[in-house]
Amino acid sequence: MSLLYSLARLLDRISPAPIAYAHCDIPCGIYDPHHSQLAAHTVIRMNDLINQLEKPGASATPEQRQEYTNKLARYLATKEQHAELAKNEIRILWGDYFKPEHLKTFPELHDLVWKALKTASKARQEINLQAAEDLLKATNDIASIFWKTKGFETITAKAPYPTERQTVYPKYK
Amino acid sequence: MTFPLRRFRVEDDSMRPTLAAGDYVVVNRWAYRFRRPAAGDVVVVRDPEAPERFLVKRIFDVNRSRIEVVGDNEGRSRDSRMFGPIPLEGVVGKVWIRLRR
Repeated sequence: MSLLYSLARLLDRISPAPIAYAHCDIPCGIYDPHHSQLAAHTVIRMNDLINQLEKPGASATPEQRQEYTNKLARYLATKEQHAELAKNEIRILWGDYFKPEHLKTFPELHDLVWKALKTASKARQEINLQAAEDLLKATNDIASIFWKTKGFETITAKAPYPTERQTVYPKYK
Repeated sequence: MTFPLRRFRVEDDSMRPTLAAGDYVVVNRWAYRFRRPAAGDVVVVRDPEAPERFLVKRIFDVNRSRIEVVGDNEGRSRDSRMFGPIPLEGVVGKVWIRLRR
């Protein structure tokens, strides 16, 4: 950090510099909570696959151990990625889509998002089906608020994936 | 008469790699008293879509009374490609000094 930069920082304390935006936010207006729900389904699925995986016993051959490790590593990597994806998608909705007026109608939104992000971290860190289920529920709750702000009613239906969990969908007009 | 120099703090990424969020720029508000803006100048302008807000961009094209600006980080920039040209009155000044974070 240069001396002049430090000086500018100091000046900021006395009188803050106005901000010049190198503005990058293209307001594309295209948002959908579905990505976050899909990512949560994947995290559930990975937990299921990990739990179904037969652990190598004391008499397992090196090849069997290697196969087990390979499968486990792949499931874990996918679980990691999709839990992170869910977090990212939730943050986009929160930071870019939701506006102060939405918060007036849905004051629980901030708390919901905060808990969703924490749950996603837990689902990422642990082999924890319950955390994955909680993540899906959180993404469903956010989706149902999202669709209400768009003026759509929602339905809760069984997802057409192997996870088959209840999922919030918009009722397109 | 106003003091010619004014400092701004940069936010967001559209001028990367030239300017990054957190950098300071010192703007010369008299830069265009005796010469015209030129393509390539980095300037602070008033946002045509929200005049109380300032934007920092690079001049891409100059015509009689208007300039077009773009961000150096073209893939992530809202600029004249979206909001069109800016009248010269909207130009606050030319970036004179850049203080890197």
